[in-house]
Amino acid sequence: MNKFLKPVFVLCIAAFLFAGCAPAATPAPTAAATEAATAAAPTVASTTAAAPEAVCASDPFGCASFAPGTTVKIGMGAPMTGGNASYGIDISQGATIAVADAGDVHGWKFELDAEDDQGNAEGGAAVANKFASDPSIVAVAGHIFSGATAAAVPIYEKVGIPMLSPSATNPALTTTGSKVFNRIAFTDTNQGSAAADYLFNTLKVKNLALVHDGSDYGKGLADIVGAQFTKDGGAVVVEQAITPGETDYTAVLSAVASKSPDALFFGGYTAEGAIICNQMKQTGLDKAIFFGDDGTYGADFLTRTGANGEGAYASIAPASPDSAAKDAFNTAYLDQFGKAPGTLSPYTWAGYDAAAALASVVKTVAFVGSDGKLYVPRTALVTAVRNLKGYVGLSGTFTCQSNGECNVDKPQFVVVKSGAWVPAQQ
Amino acid sequence: MTADTSSDLRRKSRQLIKLIRPLLGGIVGLFLVYRLYIVLIVEHPYGPDTWTRLLIAGLILGGVYSLVAIGYTLVYGILFMINFAHGEVMMIGAFSGYFVFEALNAIKIQDSNFLNTYAYFSVLIAFIVGMTVSALTGYFLEKIAYRPLRKAPRLVPLISAIGASIFLQNAVELLFSPQLRNYTNPTFLTRGAGWTININHSNVIIPYTGVFSFVLSAVLLIILYTIVRKTRLGRAMRAVALDKKTAALMGVDVDSTISKTFILSGALAGAAGVMWGIHNGLVYYYTGFIPGIKAFTAAVLGGIGNLPGAMLGGMFLGIVESMGPAALGIDFQLKDVLAFVILIVVLIFKPSGLLGESLAEEKV
Repeated sequence: MNKFLKPVFVLCIAAFLFAGCAPAATPAPTAAATEAATAAAPTVASTTAAAPEAVCASDPFGCASFAPGTTVKIGMGAPMTGGNASYGIDISQGATIAVADAGDVHGWKFELDAEDDQGNAEGGAAVANKFASDPSIVAVAGHIFSGATAAAVPIYEKVGIPMLSPSATNPALTTTGSKVFNRIAFTDTNQGSAAADYLFNTLKVKNLALVHDGSDYGKGLADIVGAQFTKDGGAVVVEQAITPGETDYTAVLSAVASKSPDALFFGGYTAEGAIICNQMKQTGLDKAIFFGDDGTYGADFLTRTGANGEGAYASIAPASPDSAAKDAFNTAYLDQFGKAPGTLSPYTWAGYDAAAALASVVKTVAFVGSDGKLYVPRTALVTAVRNLKGYVGLSGTFTCQSNGECNVDKPQFVVVKSGAWVPAQQ
Repeated sequence: MTADTSSDLRRKSRQLIKLIRPLLGGIVGLFLVYRLYIVLIVEHPYGPDTWTRLLIAGLILGGVYSLVAIGYTLVYGILFMINFAHGEVMMIGAFSGYFVFEALNAIKIQDSNFLNTYAYFSVLIAFIVGMTVSALTGYFLEKIAYRPLRKAPRLVPLISAIGASIFLQNAVELLFSPQLRNYTNPTFLTRGAGWTININHSNVIIPYTGVFSFVLSAVLLIILYTIVRKTRLGRAMRAVALDKKTAALMGVDVDSTISKTFILSGALAGAAGVMWGIHNGLVYYYTGFIPGIKAFTAAVLGGIGNLPGAMLGGMFLGIVESMGPAALGIDFQLKDVLAFVILIVVLIFKPSGLLGESLAEEKV
């Protein structure tokens, strides 16, 4: 190599290293007298210009600052492509309407940034890293699938971005002591035990087969159902796991069929659930009931199973009371996207609520600084989302507990009759 | 003194390494026999109806893998190049078949539609269109991504193949949206329907689509084998595989032969794609990825470059994946682990694969 080039290369590499090690959030310049701005109670935003340096310096995660003309972004990580894309598309569309309805915060508009996380842990971490390094993201309405959420929570924890998930139901998510994760979806503890009770008491199933896809969500749910079903007095005759992403599960289903279960509980998503439902007849499980979860509900399941899907169960959030706001949303969604909310996934209204709740909380903590920029103190926002009390949304009224659970509902069960989802017998 | 000890050491280490193979084989073999004994003699977890179902599932899966592996192994046999974009060519064929079936389903004739009135003809059209589109894709793939790199070291076309695979996946995703497409089969080929036999008071179904894919892969293998062994094109292909320069000196048009190889491989991938759609139903831009990998594994297992080897490798892989976990009493989630462990063990003992020889009967 040319003698001249070597030192140039070394200098370039050193420059890249130094650039990469620059701190993400620039600390606010020290100023004069500071008030002890408590980060505990959310401050009511005042229109009089407050000193941003004071509040931001005392906030452990700093402030997100927005110059006039920029948008305040709410992020969302959802499966937008692949076999479960209908969930991501449906929920992000509900959230888009919420963000438009939220108006503006002191003149700054909101924007939804929905990114594809494929519904798995790798995608969730990738999207979380992307959001964490984007200073204009103040909160995340997500993620949507539990596996992606579990991978994303530690990343948001480090930078102080609060989460409000409309659909991540895995119970373990609120047991990690995370300060940023909250959810308005019911937990799988409730979903699983309700499903087991329903199977044993209402459907009179004595022998149950558990099949799951190995994900946090699927396996977690199957375990809870199995435990509760055994406690109720039933017998779990076989438990098998499938590999997601494949198209042929006849071998696993044949092994399951050899134990002659009365019903097959599937913990997983529509992509695999539809295939299993389709292949149950040819593997000797034609007499068994297919019992899915909130991840197998939707129009996609109906189109992919056709006649094979008759009599398949799934669970959804309990129907919330009708209101003027809900009717307005239903009309707006139908007009904008051509489908009624709740057909692609059960979480359309929850998606609206998550984004709307986050926007309203941002409005309570954001303030305009003396320099004309909008400031959102991050720790105050995290605490404010955790302290959500009596928030009336389209899918229910939510009050967050100290661990981030904002919803203690049990699910409602639906069944496929004549090619459509109808409420199942009580 | 030192020279003696070092050569002594080398001799001893070589003797030791010679022992590792039979030792490893012995351990794995003993473990497999032990597990088989526990499952088959001691435990009896499954009845004959379940074993039949598992066997049928294995044969069908094997048929599907063989179908994709045949095209894979052809390209390697002629050009010694692993065409990683083969799965994507197959996916494009599957998409073409989907659009043909959708179009024919929409043409109304009396109280039915074209698809069901002329069912056999519709299936034939779908296959022809699928194979043509895939063949064209294969031709352009070779022309754009591989021909300019013919003089480059062997790894460079491999990377180009991976790039082509990613390009094709994303092109299809952008052109046709990432949503899953559901194949509309003609009624005589409804997915899940089949002949029923009663074993042990239980109905075992042999699916129509499964038998179709098995028969199709066998037929295509025979046709391809005949082409390679009996026709002028086949002779040219074997000559190019043996020695490109000498073949050119003997009057073989090397460029044209290689293009024709890719066209043939593309047509096979197209047939595999349409068959995949008919049998499995759901296609989207990523459908080709897993079959591509499985076909590569099957081809290597059977002896890459060897045409009957691809069929054997595919059947072997299908049966191991379906019956293996049941026969060994392990979790079905570990089927891929089992398949790849067996692949490694086979390669340790026979690095050229089960059937070993290459297409031109010459190893480069």
